[in-house]
Amino acid sequence: MHYTETESMVTNEEKVPSLAKIIWREIVRDKVALISFLFIILITSFVYGISIFLNQDEIVRVDLFAINEPPSENFWLGTDYGGRDIFGQLIIGTRNSLSIGILVTLMTGIIGVTYGLASGYFGGTVDNIMMRIVDFFLILPFLMIVIVFVAIVPEYSVWTFSLIMTAFLWMGKARLIRSKALQERELDYAQASKTLGTPHWKIMFLQVLPNLSSLIIVTMTLNLAANIGLESGLSFLGFGFPEDTPSLGTLLGYARNPQTLELRWWIWVPAAVMVFLLMLAVRNVGEALKRATDAKQRRG
Amino acid sequence: MWKFIVRRLLITMPQIVLLSILVFIMAQLMPGDALSGLIDPNIDPAAIEEQREKLGLNDPWYVQYTDWVTSAIQGDLGQSFRFKMPVTELIGQRLVNTFWLGLATLIFTYIIAIPLGITSGRYNDTLRDQIITGYTYIGFATPLFIFALVMLWVFGYSLGWFPTGGSVEPGLEPGSFAYIMSKINHLLLPAISMALITTVNTVQYLRSEIIDTKQKDFVLTARAKGASEARVYRRHIFRNSLLPVAAYFGFEITGLIGGTIFIETIFSYPGMGLLFMESVLQRDYSVVTSVVLLFGIASILGALLSDIILSLVDPRIRIK
Amino acid sequence: MALLEVTDLKVHFPIRGGILNRKIGEIKAVDGVSFSIERGKTYGLVGESGSGKTTTGKSIIGLNHITSGTVKFDGVDLTGFKSEKSDIRKDIQMIFQDPYSSLNGKRRVLDIISEPLRNFEKSSKAEEKKRVQELLERVGLSPESILKYPHQFSGGQRQRIGIARAIALKPKLIIADEPVSALDVSVQAQVLNFMQDIQKDLNLTYLFISHDLGIVKHMCDEIGIMYKGRFVEEGTKEGIFNNPQHIYTKRLVAAIPDVNPVNRQRQKVYREKVEEEYQKNYNDYFDQEGLAYPLRQISQSHLVALPQKG
Repeated sequence: MHYTETESMVTNEEKVPSLAKIIWREIVRDKVALISFLFIILITSFVYGISIFLNQDEIVRVDLFAINEPPSENFWLGTDYGGRDIFGQLIIGTRNSLSIGILVTLMTGIIGVTYGLASGYFGGTVDNIMMRIVDFFLILPFLMIVIVFVAIVPEYSVWTFSLIMTAFLWMGKARLIRSKALQERELDYAQASKTLGTPHWKIMFLQVLPNLSSLIIVTMTLNLAANIGLESGLSFLGFGFPEDTPSLGTLLGYARNPQTLELRWWIWVPAAVMVFLLMLAVRNVGEALKRATDAKQRRG
Repeated sequence: MWKFIVRRLLITMPQIVLLSILVFIMAQLMPGDALSGLIDPNIDPAAIEEQREKLGLNDPWYVQYTDWVTSAIQGDLGQSFRFKMPVTELIGQRLVNTFWLGLATLIFTYIIAIPLGITSGRYNDTLRDQIITGYTYIGFATPLFIFALVMLWVFGYSLGWFPTGGSVEPGLEPGSFAYIMSKINHLLLPAISMALITTVNTVQYLRSEIIDTKQKDFVLTARAKGASEARVYRRHIFRNSLLPVAAYFGFEITGLIGGTIFIETIFSYPGMGLLFMESVLQRDYSVVTSVVLLFGIASILGALLSDIILSLVDPRIRIK
Repeated sequence: MALLEVTDLKVHFPIRGGILNRKIGEIKAVDGVSFSIERGKTYGLVGESGSGKTTTGKSIIGLNHITSGTVKFDGVDLTGFKSEKSDIRKDIQMIFQDPYSSLNGKRRVLDIISEPLRNFEKSSKAEEKKRVQELLERVGLSPESILKYPHQFSGGQRQRIGIARAIALKPKLIIADEPVSALDVSVQAQVLNFMQDIQKDLNLTYLFISHDLGIVKHMCDEIGIMYKGRFVEEGTKEGIFNNPQHIYTKRLVAAIPDVNPVNRQRQKVYREKVEEEYQKNYNDYFDQEGLAYPLRQISQSHLVALPQKG
């Protein structure tokens, strides 16, 4: 067999860096994103680390001799109306809020990605029906319906709370993934897989999904920020975490009492600052990721 | 284009039907029924059972659903057991308050968004733009309720510039000048707090629209013809970028609904959001279902409105 | 018996519209095409873009839904075949036009080439790797490159990877959809010659889809010329090139550039003459809708779409 080897000689060995590398480079270059990233790492390891040594029952135990104390040596951030230490609640609350934020983001991610992928991949009538369903869910007054379900669900727990949130939060992602999957399925590599006898589910998850990875990472990061805000909002209204499980939202919820809001800032301001900083930092990282993946697209 | 609108309307009908089914299911899941709001629980159980039969509460679900929808269309949403009055009447009072709050918020939203968006888009990448973009960036990361809490704390309690709750000073004669001024005074802080956060979407959208339009051929043509910069902006760029922004008006309604729940709770403003929260907490479920139904329909109609405006503005959408 | 027999193949796409998005018309991408390919031969499908040649190829392999007609492969009718895992499907493979989009950029060469093997053969990881290395060697790439990603290869090399993937299951028929049109001219000949080599070695049958008559002349034994979903002329390579009957074919043949500069002037005059005839007699060769007439036999192996009166 004869063919010229010239072509194999000119292998274009130009290194196209991997996604992880581009992301890292973009985050380091962007000072704000870098600081945000370090902040997240710091806070996360701090709250998860410290809360191992903190006894949650101890912290949420009512102590009638130390009600509504301002910050002091014993209570760094004072106490609430039940004499509970705010600083401890803040640590555990941040951990709980982060955990549920991550949990809900992952669950909605899995549902949204699978749904959107299937809808976009199969296209046609299937897609049409699946997207009408998404359209419907997207217009619903989300907050009210979640509140109603939280109020009426029997045996309410943190788990049912995250399930209810998940049930009404996956649609945006589904729609986004679907529009991208619709483009991908027309590409030759997906068609080629069909001619090679690869089953649909394999094409969807092993061929198309990896090509959507950067989109998924960016969306999930931005969603995490939104979900932290949403959890604290619902808990603030009293329809999120129960009071014996502190979260940033339950701390903020104390501020619904005008006296607490006006006179006892130490109860709610730290939690407000924490929610704000966390959301800002996660968003910063998310936006930097977005720029990074856009840059990758520019490079081809 | 009429085709698009008719098709869009055809989608709206099943959406409203689906919503009503969802709300009905929610109502069924709620503990208690219409009767628990009407009568004394100490009455003989047999009598209660008789009443239930009479009210059709033992009918199969589809009969109950039809009855419920029929009476809802006729304006009968049931009885509030807490207020002992028809839900329709109750909602009527509160709806007016929420309407004014929503309107004020929308006005502030656009008052803030239009100058900021235009400045930011016209002078993009200058210091002015960076400050405005910084504001939108922070606005995106700030949950509405936290911002509202801070606003109430600072301007309501600490500085005392605004009232901290209610929708009007008690004891004023409705319709009098003082009454109206008091109403407005009570509206300002909640509306501004909400607008400052919700406006960032519009600012950013307007900014990118203007930056996009700036590079379009017809703008270049206008410049090439020798039109002054002011004229180019006034006659060509603003007109073309403001229209799509206006189309998002309908979606703003959906956003407002979520916002009013927080804002009215924080400012104790007696509107639909607060009514909803109180009713959920006190298990006044006929009110809860009615509010969800109404706000759900409002959202659906808001999206419909936006889609129609958008299709008038942007012909590409009609083709879909 | 022919390996592939296509009879009266029709592929119509619905046009949807109106308020309820109902079918209001259809595009006849392929409209009654018949041909057959003998084992070990290469059949060329030629036509301009939008003539339905790619749709024909894709519907044979099952990527497009066949509206009517039959496709017989080795005597088995493929239309209405549901199971993609059947062994018949394994015998037909495809080489795609664009070597950049036909290889998934997120997967290694090993995964790309072993994809068909994983679907049809249960072999161990080590065996699989060995097979892939053999295939790479077969298509002239270094066996060490199994862990590389597609973007690390040039267009010609990528097309070789695509070919390696297509021959992995030892198919009988390969549908090559413009396999070189996305490549540099300098690389085209290499890939084409290589395709002819493996055809001999593996006793492959090709359905070769192209818009380039020069390439088709080089590759094919029989040729079908398509225009707006129908055949205008079909015959052996010699018949088509030496004795084109339909004005559309004449025009295509006249457009092939001649390498010899001495003939250039003569070629130009001929081309102008054909063009003039094409403009003048267009209505005689096509019906009112601008479509080709049904084919008529003019010799043992030559069919032309001319109106009845001739």
